[in-house]
Amino acid sequence: MAPTKQAKQAPTRQAITLKGSTALVTEFFKFAANTILFQRGVYPADDFHMVKKYGQTVLVTQDLALENYLEKILKQVNQWLLTGSITQLVLAIISKDSRTPLERWVFDINLVEPPADSSEAAPAKPESEIQAEIRNILKQIVSTVTFLPVIDEPTVFNILAYTKESAEVPANEWVDTDPLAIEASKSQQVKLRSFSTDVHRIEAMVAYRYEG
Amino acid sequence: MSHGDKFSTPVNSSSRFISPIPRSSAIKRDSLAAELERDPQLSTAKRQQRTQAFSSHLAHASLERQLAAAQTTKLELESKLREKDLLIERLEGDRRWLAEREKEEREEKEREREEALDAKRKADSELRSLRTQLASLREQHVDLEDEHSTLSRSTSQTISSQKSQVTTLARQVSLLENQLEEFRQLAEERAHAFDELQAQFDELNAAQDSVTLNHGQEDEDWTVVREELHRQAKYMRQLESANTKMTVELNVLREKQTSVEVLKEQKRELERKLHGAEDLREQVVKLEAELDAARQAREEWASTAQPATPSKTPVSVTQSLSNLRLTHAKLMEEHGSNVALLRHRDQTISELQARETQLQETVDSLRDEVRDLKGRVARSEHKAALSEREVSFLQAMVASFNAESAANGDVKLEDDASKPLQQLEALVKDYKGVVLALENELKHVRENTVVAEDLQAKQQLLAELERERAAKEEAEQALKEAESESEKQLEQIEELEQTLFELRGEIGAGRHLPPGVRVLSLRDNPAQQWEDLSKAAMDRLKGENEALLKRLKELEESGIRGLGQSASKEDLVPRESYEGVRAEMLKLDQELKAKDKRLQRLQEIFRKKGEEFREATASILGVKLVFYPNGGVRVTSQFDLNAAFVFKPTDSQNGGKMQLIEQGEGGPEDLPQLMRYWIEEQGCIPGFLASVTLECYDKRKRELEHQQ
Repeated sequence: MAPTKQAKQAPTRQAITLKGSTALVTEFFKFAANTILFQRGVYPADDFHMVKKYGQTVLVTQDLALENYLEKILKQVNQWLLTGSITQLVLAIISKDSRTPLERWVFDINLVEPPADSSEAAPAKPESEIQAEIRNILKQIVSTVTFLPVIDEPTVFNILAYTKESAEVPANEWVDTDPLAIEASKSQQVKLRSFSTDVHRIEAMVAYRYEG
Repeated sequence: MSHGDKFSTPVNSSSRFISPIPRSSAIKRDSLAAELERDPQLSTAKRQQRTQAFSSHLAHASLERQLAAAQTTKLELESKLREKDLLIERLEGDRRWLAEREKEEREEKEREREEALDAKRKADSELRSLRTQLASLREQHVDLEDEHSTLSRSTSQTISSQKSQVTTLARQVSLLENQLEEFRQLAEERAHAFDELQAQFDELNAAQDSVTLNHGQEDEDWTVVREELHRQAKYMRQLESANTKMTVELNVLREKQTSVEVLKEQKRELERKLHGAEDLREQVVKLEAELDAARQAREEWASTAQPATPSKTPVSVTQSLSNLRLTHAKLMEEHGSNVALLRHRDQTISELQARETQLQETVDSLRDEVRDLKGRVARSEHKAALSEREVSFLQAMVASFNAESAANGDVKLEDDASKPLQQLEALVKDYKGVVLALENELKHVRENTVVAEDLQAKQQLLAELERERAAKEEAEQALKEAESESEKQLEQIEELEQTLFELRGEIGAGRHLPPGVRVLSLRDNPAQQWEDLSKAAMDRLKGENEALLKRLKELEESGIRGLGQSASKEDLVPRESYEGVRAEMLKLDQELKAKDKRLQRLQEIFRKKGEEFREATASILGVKLVFYPNGGVRVTSQFDLNAAFVFKPTDSQNGGKMQLIEQGEGGPEDLPQLMRYWIEEQGCIPGFLASVTLECYDKRKRELEHQQ
């Protein structure tokens, strides 16, 4: 998975900090959310324009309202990541008419604990490797179109943040909400790739409603 | 619209070129005539006026005369008045002087009065103060009198007491004087004595002086004596210590003495016993002798008087003899046994003594050994403790391993399982090393200590070894168990991973919420917005629906007679729909207004731009343009306002070609020529206009020069 050639090119890279890792993860969320919204047709394709990122073209929305919304969420997610109080970020796609949740894109956020017994710190993961992992996840999201059920109704989306009880939540902006669960009998799930910095490990998964 | 109407231009209308002002041609009239015309009765009034003027003139003359007379009288009167004035002034001066005097007097009087009043007031106040002083003084007086009386009383008392005191004191004085006398006498006596003593002292001093000479020698003696004393004291101390030592020794010796005494007594007793024994021996010897004698006698008797009756000797004798013999034999036996016993005892004693010494030796050697062994035991105990600790560590490891396996779901279980394995292996290696070392030690010990007493230590060591072996086995067992457990756990891990995936699905699908986790979303999210929007629409529709239903019910209730009534026209449309429509209308109105405003603004801009355009053409091309709504254009030269042309587009479709259709009155003289050449021949309107402009400019320039 990791191109060793690239790893050799940056052998003296310093270990990634919590801040750096948080920024990386937040950025990933932005592009992942945009990719999902485009691929699943939540917003019209005209709203998106191409941007070069992670060594590939990624589609990013131009809708100002949506941009603001994502920006607001990611800012708070960034805060939570820094304090380690967020455990999961979920992008739920909901049917406009029936209001049933159709898809839940789940990003598990785990803190990577350094191995307790090893006396010397593990070698820092080169950023190129992390980028390659992120690229693979985004590609996988694109490829999920092949097996996810076709959505032929207008949809709307919502982003849920699973945080610890102790997390600091800005009042009036964020509210406790329904987890938008998919019925057990009609739920399928596919585990996607994951990526990890030296601090965080993000595991992606998509659960979707499937009436076979 | 007709053709003529369209082109009713100022070129045609003559009014444009003719001055509109009319010239006046009326005749001026007399004002009097005008007045006469106005009022024919005025002439009679005038006549009357003239007569009146005449009479007034006469009156005026008489009045003038009267005035002259009056003036003369007035002059006289004025002179009189002046005199009178002078008189009055003089009198007034006198009066003023008098008044001043009077005023001065009055002021003086007033001042005096004020002074008097002041004085009186002062006097009054003084009087008042004096009175108060008097009152206070009186009070003081009374007080002082009281005081005086009390003081006089107290003084009399004191005086009497002092008198009595004086008397007593006088008595004391006399007494003291007597005493003084006595003391003086005594002092004198003393002085005498003192003198005597002084004399004695002097004498003694003299003696002392002689004595002091010997004093130095005494000091030396003293030092010697002191040293001697020191020495003696030291000696005494030595003696005392020796004495104590001796007494201690004495005590010891006394004790010894007492023991010696005891021993002596024992010895004496034993001697006494020995004497007894010698007596007995003598007796024994005597008895033997008797026995021998008796035997001899019997033999003799037997040999001699055998055939004879044995009754030669009395039976009693024989009996006693036999008895004696018996006792003798018994005694002999006793003696023999005693002696044997004694010897036996002696032997045992010697044996025991030998054995004791031997035992003593063995005890010493054993003690040494014991010491060695204790050291070894301590070492082995230490080792045992170590191994126990290791065992406990292993147990803890196993426990932790179990705990980890219990806390399943950890991704790192595999690593953790292999870790204790490695540790256990390392432990086994350690144990093997320890066992080897112990075996070496054992061998060493065996070589060194061939003594029988080492057996115990050896046994201990062996036991230890056994224990170690057992521990090792235990450890190996634990290792095996751990390995099997790890295998089991690996299986479990796989199972758990499967369930984990399923559970993740549960969480991912949002059906399960882990404890201590909150699900949050932005209040203002797209889904919420959509919902709000649809809810609002729904609410509106619901309201409308309800209103309609209500209306329906009302209609049903009122029945058919409501049909004909037009009174409730407003209610025919439900309020809600009406509101909705109105809101829409308002919105549209607003939009319309905005559009209007925009249109207006655009028009303004257009107008401004058009003006700018016209000004630009005027300044650049020298012509003024006016556009007609039908597409025609009037061109007027700037230099000659009479030179105006109207063009009209020939074809409204392509709109490019223009046609000259009218022309103004003015313009250059050779206009027809230009027109013919440029328009008819060349068909070039710009060229025509340019030449016209040139001509007009030339013409104007000439005119200006001419004027100047």
